[in-house]
Amino acid sequence: MLELVADMMENDLILIGATAVEDKLQKGVPQCIDKLAQAGLKIWVLTGDKMETAINIGFSCSLLRQGMKQICITVMNSDAVAQESKQAVKENISMQITNASQMVKLEKDPHAAFALIIDGKTLSYALEDDMKHQFLALAVVCASVICCRVSPKQKALVTRLVKEGTGKTTLAIGDGANDVGMIQEADIGVGISGVEGMQAVMASDFSISQFRFLERLLVVHGHWCYKRIAQMICYFFYKNIAFGLTLFYFEAFTAFSGQSVYNDWYMLLFNVILTSLPVISLGVFEQDVSSEVCLQFPALYQQGPKNLFFDWYRILGWMGNGLYTSLVIFILNIMIFYNQAFRAEGQTADMAAMGATMFSCIITAVNCQIALTMSHFTWIQHLFVWGSVTTWYLFLLLFGMLPPYYSEDAHKILVEALGPAPIYWCTILLVTVACNLPYLAHISFQRCFNPMDHHIIQEIKYYKKDVEDQHMWRRERSKARQETKIGFTARVDAKIRQLKGKLQRRSSTLILPNCMPSPCQ
Amino acid sequence: MSGHMASSSNGGSGSGDSGAPRRNSKRPKYSKFTQQELPACKPILTPKWVVSAFLIIAIVFIPIGIACLLGSRDVVEVVERYETRCIPPAYANNEVQYIQSSVDKTCNISMTIPKRMKKPIYVYYQLDNFYQNHRRYVKSRSDKQLKSLKNENDTSSCKPEHLATNGGAIVPCGLIAWSLFNDTYIFSRPNNQNNQSLTVNKKGIAWKSDKEKRFGKDVRPKNFQGGGLRGGGDLDATIPLSEQEDLMVWMRTAALPTFRKLYGKIEVDLEANETINVTLGNNYNTYSFNGKKKLVLSTTSWIGGRNDFLGIAYLTVGMICLALAIGFTVVYFVKPRRLGDPTFLSWNRGPGSH
Repeated sequence: MLELVADMMENDLILIGATAVEDKLQKGVPQCIDKLAQAGLKIWVLTGDKMETAINIGFSCSLLRQGMKQICITVMNSDAVAQESKQAVKENISMQITNASQMVKLEKDPHAAFALIIDGKTLSYALEDDMKHQFLALAVVCASVICCRVSPKQKALVTRLVKEGTGKTTLAIGDGANDVGMIQEADIGVGISGVEGMQAVMASDFSISQFRFLERLLVVHGHWCYKRIAQMICYFFYKNIAFGLTLFYFEAFTAFSGQSVYNDWYMLLFNVILTSLPVISLGVFEQDVSSEVCLQFPALYQQGPKNLFFDWYRILGWMGNGLYTSLVIFILNIMIFYNQAFRAEGQTADMAAMGATMFSCIITAVNCQIALTMSHFTWIQHLFVWGSVTTWYLFLLLFGMLPPYYSEDAHKILVEALGPAPIYWCTILLVTVACNLPYLAHISFQRCFNPMDHHIIQEIKYYKKDVEDQHMWRRERSKARQETKIGFTARVDAKIRQLKGKLQRRSSTLILPNCMPSPCQ
Repeated sequence: MSGHMASSSNGGSGSGDSGAPRRNSKRPKYSKFTQQELPACKPILTPKWVVSAFLIIAIVFIPIGIACLLGSRDVVEVVERYETRCIPPAYANNEVQYIQSSVDKTCNISMTIPKRMKKPIYVYYQLDNFYQNHRRYVKSRSDKQLKSLKNENDTSSCKPEHLATNGGAIVPCGLIAWSLFNDTYIFSRPNNQNNQSLTVNKKGIAWKSDKEKRFGKDVRPKNFQGGGLRGGGDLDATIPLSEQEDLMVWMRTAALPTFRKLYGKIEVDLEANETINVTLGNNYNTYSFNGKKKLVLSTTSWIGGRNDFLGIAYLTVGMICLALAIGFTVVYFVKPRRLGDPTFLSWNRGPGSH
């Protein structure tokens, strides 16, 4: 009835216009996704919106583009599914996945891109144990995956599937309470604080206020953090091996009775104040390249996923360096202070003198080593590194001034015994240089013949070649990214390829030689 | 439509007042420290730096090495091992019994001076295979007791050498003092017309801080070696500890099982090829543990006693650095890599490189 009335009324209307509601993406999201794709990350979208909305969002941030083949996996009939046809539905979905995989495998064009779009209902079948590996295999070869109408539980399940199925590190970012499951399931969970409340923030490892900050979080801070942690751990092993092994070597000379060559106080302070602050400053402030360069060269991010700085070669190399250092310190000190007088006044060295000298050698050698490792020296690093060495001498001086009840054999040892003895200072200089020589030779050699990317960029910056030769700098920046099929630069590249292809086809169909080919529109 | 007023509420709470003084922004205050933009120097290892570093080390180390070697070569040292020589033939297989008996243990040896030795000449005794650095030995002393008379009974850390058989505390207690070295040496020059005997100055052999701060002026030895078992020499009970320099020298535990300790100083020059006769009292028992005893006469130079190792080590490191400097210079000329050359970036070098 209503329809009849409407038919009668709605006649001879003039179309005035159309309105639309745009659910805008946040500022900077397409650029961020583009940068992350250039850094080599694979991006999936899990949303509760319906398929058309999700596809539109995919287009607006260049996860999808014209020319991408969209693979839609859906449940055929949306009627209430009877029990016995559940099996039929599953088989249907399985067949769709198989067909799609086949199509992808047979594709010959290397620049062809596929997008997988799947909705929540289908996902509930696809995530069952017998089908999930098949589904994951297809999803992994697609350039982008968009899951729509997903429930919070399914978001977590998809994240777990990717994490366990591929074995790669996963990061989940979301802003609502429905993202909490996914955020907690992923290796790294990032929550966006904002319009939808703080539940995502409270469940996450990192929280940011806008999506576009994810770019800086990963490409700048992620890159720096990886290097800092790798260097810190390797150095910690090195310095403790260098220190601890000298104690073991000395046991061979004490009939294995457990006497330590160092005063207890030296050993206590070693890891507390004398060698800990430089490492902390390395772990907090070290930058191999500045933040602008990190953002301009997304390919540098790949040094992390490829694990170039914490592979076994590097770890064992640092341990070997520690072993070598401990041997050099111990053997040189023993041989120099052997049994003869160590001063012009004829006194021979006792265990306190030998221990204090050995310890001075360790502190100086280990701190010079970290100075060679660092590449970014602020005033804090200078203060901590040189300050640690100075603190040791200050400590020795002040400890020696305490009454002998506290300082025992170390009473006045610097002022009276070691300070005026030239052999003490000569030994420290010799041991420090001998310990650091192999490392210095190694890094000189590596920088000369096998430089890594950040070395080259450091040199370009140091000699200001980026300012002199802007063309080269821009060219390298544009080359410094991973091959990717998503993001707007990929879209631009695809468009360029398409236009080139059209141009070639046009020029090949041209018969008359004196006609210029018409330019592409 | 004209009646349609612009809505007063802007869309969303994200956009604040435009340009109004109250920003209500939660953005943290910018500081160079928190944004990791502190001014920094970023040195890099260019070929210039590499070669200069190695060259400077070589230039500094080789002269130091030569100086140390010359300083060590200047030292004249005479070493005589005597513990096997000083056993009379009657006791050839019963050394321990000999040393523990009360037979007269005087022994005469002679030493030849190879080169002219300028005064002061230091006399050392060297012990081998004697672990003064053993943990229980090093612990076994009481610094409080050594320092002051009122702490006489503070002997707990000195066990087992803490109480005499008569129940009183041993002063100084502990294994270190108990095992005091007690061989004596008397030197003479038989061929010298002017002076036959050589006096050995036994003062000034201990550290000044030991004499003033660690060994008390009011503490005198008491019940020393009174624990039933004798471990070494005796101490004069009338002389306070702050003047017992032999004890102070002995109590500075050595780091290695082979060590020398200062016995005294000879304040005259000795000529080359001169023969020195030593009348020594072979009292100390090293035979129970196959230890060796040696007598050493040595001069010193600015670097101390004779040990070529420091000089040789400096020269070795200096030579290695020189070789590295030359090697790197050659390499940089033969196969130079232009610094900042972007062809070495991994995306320009082709697949399979990082």
